[in-house]
Formats: sequence, C-alpha cells, structure tokens
Amino acid sequence: MDEEYDAIVLGTGLKECILSGMLSVSGKKVLHVDRNKYYGGRVGVNLSSGRAFGAPPPDDSYGRKRDWNVDLIPKFLMANGSLVKLLIHTGVTRYLEFKSVEGSYVYKGGKISKVPVDQKEALASDLMGMFEKRRFRNFLIYVQDFSGDDPKTWKDFDPNTQNMQALYEKFGLDKNTQDFTGHALALHRDDDYLNRPAVETINRIKLYSDSLARYGKSPYLYPMYGLGELPQGFARLSAIYGGTYMLDKPIDEIVLGEGGKVVGVRSGNEVAKCKQVYCDPTYVSDRVRKKGKVIRCICLMDHPVPNTKDALSTQIIIPQKQVGRNSDIYVSLVSYTHQVAAKGWFIAMVSTTVETDNPETEIKPGLDLLGPIRQKFVSVSDYYEPTDDGLESQIFISQSYDATTHFETTCLDVLDIFKRGTGEEFDFSKIKHELGDEEQ
Amino acid sequence: MATIKIPEQKVILCGEYGVGKSSIFRRFTNNTFITATDRKSTLGLDHFEKTYCACDKDIKLQLWDTGGMERVASITSSYYKFAEAAVLVFALDNPASFHVLSQHLLDIVTYAENAKIFLCGNKSDLIEDVPQVTDSEIEAFCEQCHNLISGTYKTSCRTGEGLEEMFNDIANQLVNSNRSRLELQSMEQHGFKITQNEELTEDSCLC
Repeated sequence: MDEEYDAIVLGTGLKECILSGMLSVSGKKVLHVDRNKYYGGRVGVNLSSGRAFGAPPPDDSYGRKRDWNVDLIPKFLMANGSLVKLLIHTGVTRYLEFKSVEGSYVYKGGKISKVPVDQKEALASDLMGMFEKRRFRNFLIYVQDFSGDDPKTWKDFDPNTQNMQALYEKFGLDKNTQDFTGHALALHRDDDYLNRPAVETINRIKLYSDSLARYGKSPYLYPMYGLGELPQGFARLSAIYGGTYMLDKPIDEIVLGEGGKVVGVRSGNEVAKCKQVYCDPTYVSDRVRKKGKVIRCICLMDHPVPNTKDALSTQIIIPQKQVGRNSDIYVSLVSYTHQVAAKGWFIAMVSTTVETDNPETEIKPGLDLLGPIRQKFVSVSDYYEPTDDGLESQIFISQSYDATTHFETTCLDVLDIFKRGTGEEFDFSKIKHELGDEEQ
Repeated sequence: MATIKIPEQKVILCGEYGVGKSSIFRRFTNNTFITATDRKSTLGLDHFEKTYCACDKDIKLQLWDTGGMERVASITSSYYKFAEAAVLVFALDNPASFHVLSQHLLDIVTYAENAKIFLCGNKSDLIEDVPQVTDSEIEAFCEQCHNLISGTYKTSCRTGEGLEEMFNDIANQLVNSNRSRLELQSMEQHGFKITQNEELTEDSCLC
C-alpha cells in the first residue's frame, strides 16, 4: 500500500468502479480500496444477509442460498442509454450477458396498462379515448421525426426556448396523456420538466423509443446474475489496465496537505500517497449533505405480477398524480430467469422518494399491484450529495443512488465527476478493443 | 439463426500468484514465453479464443486470465460465471502453491458449479532430481476431491512441453461431456451480449 498513486478510489460501488476503470484506461495509476470483504458496496447481496433486516432465516422453500443474488438498489439499463454506451466503449460487455425486460407498464386509475410507444400501440392502448389516441399518435410522429440539428423538423415550435407544457398544448394532449408521457416515456421523476425547454423531454422520449427498437419487448435490459456483475466488470477492466485492488481494508483518514488538498489515504499505520481521491459519500461524512430519503422495499414472491401476461421481468411506473404525490413510485420485477433467484422465485422492488413521516404507506399503491408477497424487506436510506465540486480538495464524491429504476442519472454523475477530476471529457477512443494481443 | 456457430467454451485459469497462469495464457495465444527477469504481475491480458477440432467437431476454447486481480484482492465472482472448464495451476517447484489449491477449488465449485476441473503442474522444466510435489501427492489430492478433477497434466511454459496436449485433451473432454447439452443450448433462448449498434435498417416503428 505504501506507494504513490495518481488516484485512490474508495468503495467498489458501481460509480466508483466505472470511475476506476475509466481512470486506469486513461493511463492513471489507480489504487482501489474497499472497507468490505466483497465487491459492489450496496449493490447486491445474497439471501443470508436478509437477517440484517430482521427477517427470519429462509426455509427450504427458498432453494439454495447461492442461487440468490438480490440487488439492494435494483435498476434497469436503457438499451440505448449512456451506461450501455459506456459498457460498449470500454469493452466491459465481454464480461456480461443480458436479458431484455419483458414488459413496461404504467399505472392509471388503479390498474396497469402497457406503455404505448409506437403508433400502432398508441391506437390500441386502453389508456386514452379515441380522439386522444389520434392526437397522441401525431405527437409521437412529431417526436420521432424531430432532429435537434434540423429546424425544419421543429414545425413552427422552438424546443430550445418553449417549454414542454407548450408542446403538449400544441398537440392538444390532455393531463392524463401528459402524465404517462412525461413519467413513463420520458422518465421524469416530477413535473418540473413542464416548465423547462421541450428539447430535453423530446430527447428522453427518443431515447425510450430508440432503446425499444433495439431489442423489442421493452427498452430495458438487465444483466444475468444481477447488477453486482456490473461493478465487477469495470473492476476487471481497471485491473487489466494496471489498477491495484485491495478489499477488506478499513480507511481511517483522508490525509490533507497544504491548502486542504488531499495528499493520501491512511489505513492503520500505512499511508498511500495520491494526487486525487474518488469516493462514495460513506467515506466522507463531513463533505456531504443530506438531500432527501429514498424508500426501497424488496419483495420475494413465488409468482409474477398479476396482469402482466406472466412476464418474468417488468417495470411499472406509477406517475405521481395518479396517487396524489409529488414523486413517482417505481416497481421493478426480476426473477429466476436472470439467475438472481432460485427456480420459481421472483424479486420485486417498490421504491420512491420519501415525502412523509410514514414512508411505508407511501409505497402501498405499488405493493398492492404485486399480489401475495412471501417476504418483505423495507429500507429507508438517506440520499447524499457532495457539498462542493472537489476541485480545491481534489476529493471527488459521488451522489447516492436515487429512486429511479434506470441508470441514466448514475452515468451523468460519473461522467461529470470524471470531467471535474481530469479536466477533460472521457475519451472513448483511448481504449483499444482487442485486449490479449498485448505483444503486438 | 441459420448460421452454424462453433460452440464457445469458457476456460478459466486459477491458482496462486506467480505459478505461471499468464505464461500459459501467452503460450495459448501466440506461443511465446517471457523469461523471469522481465516478468511482472499481469497487466493487459484478458481472454483469447482458439478453435480446436475434437472428435470431428469444432470447438472454440476461450481462455481467460485472471487479469492480475489475485495480486492483493480477491478475484471477482463474475470471473467464474459461465465457465465450462477451470484449470487449477500450481508450480511443480513450489509446494505452497499446490497446497493452497483446495481454496481455489472451493471458489470454482461455488461460483462455476458446472465447470469441469483440470489440474496443471507448471514449470516442469525446473524439477531436478527430487520433485517438490510428488505424483503420489497429486493423486492423493485428486482422491480427496472425490474425483472432481477430470485430468492432470504437467507442463512447461518455458519449453512449451505438454501445453498443446493439455488444451487438446480439455477440448476433447468438453466435446464429449457436453455433446447433448451443446445441441440443446443452440436451440434454447439465452441471454445476449450487447454489441456495437448495428445500423438500423428501417427508421424503427414510427413512420
């Protein structure tokens, strides 16, 4: 450990592992440390950890313990999203195998409907009346033809100055349609987007439909063996490019030098010198502030979600207004088909941003959709963000994971940290793709 | 789906730091050897595929190196996933590297339960009159493992001795034991790897 590094990364959560991989690939000498004995921070656990939630030990009906890989923070990848781009450009896809999520649903008036995304589905959807369907179809065609570089496709509407509300009005879409468009297609977490330029939402809807076009059933992907595989893949990338890994190493102090700039990291009597530190909020409690709370409820079930055509994986979004809230409720389901549960088992997760003193009742509309639940694990966690941009101290801190069930915000945070830390955008061309022919 | 795909079999190398896993990997990929003087811990080796012909069937062995992760930390469990075969490597001149194999074996059976396991004593060129790890010790080890070991080999990466034979034999054994499964597998719907975006032929569904 007593060496000098360009960067020390603390924690092996997904964001830290992506950063570690990107830094190693960029030629930096990286030391990556985790205080735990295992990779992945808070991403995945096996079933025996259920005791931490005060649950009874699993009985025989749960099958073998090692068949379970339960994500603590379940999320899906958008097939055309930034995490997939990162995976492709870094070559980490070599280490992973994916399955397409089978269904994408939205909640309306107590029941769930398939999210319509092309004109055929729009016309067949039970979410809208006959005339609304036609208006929605026209809106979808507009979005599909839209190109940010070509004002001709804007059709007398300036998406950079006019807001999304104005675009909805231009097409005469009612509140209901706005609701599922903004939340289930554009994946906004609240209604603030209505007052922001429309271009943002248009691009989000395009991301959704482009992702859908890639693999079919839904725009979402999920890795076999669970999300714990993602940080491991990036960790391998980092190691292959020379990163050094140390697990089970407690961090006692981040050592500061002149001007409050970081000079190293101390563990016991050892100090590793470095120019920069990248870490998650748990390593620097004095440099982060609480921004809110997220509640997540993991449910083990022996059946799929009712009314989803027995899909083995699903995402359901409950738009805030449908249940009188200010933030959406997300429901996701994965199962034994992804090698994350024993044969015949399903893992559902209901999550949202906490708004009241009684978070468990807040997620009730989500839980009610699931049918009988065999075992429930509820956790409420604080959501932290760094108090500064890290430029002065050279300590770059990631934000906690939010309630969303996809990775778009995660990637934005990582790319932003990389840019602050290195002063440049990540150069994807730096990675040579054919590893293994190192002697050439 | 009409194309005939040569089945790909993931083979992983396991064993202590310094027993020559990467040397085996280098011999496998381009038949070279790097001498001890400029040898260092592994950087930049990932995985490599080579086609073998066993029992009139083509089979692609995809050999994976640890990537040097065993230097300080443990290897990630994902390294073992999807592995069809694991080669337990030890150095014939280093008894400690042999005795620690039970630990690596445990990792393999935990994370890659379907993998066939092979035992490889490397650095056979370094054995002088009295071998540090005797044949009877190796036999005893295989017995203790309840015959989990599908084959044992002695190799030398310096001379290249025994390596081609080892990989040929692994290919043979995989073809024989997996014959029916491989055929099933090609029909079954599996997960997929994400690849570079193929040009979308039509402008998707909205027109």
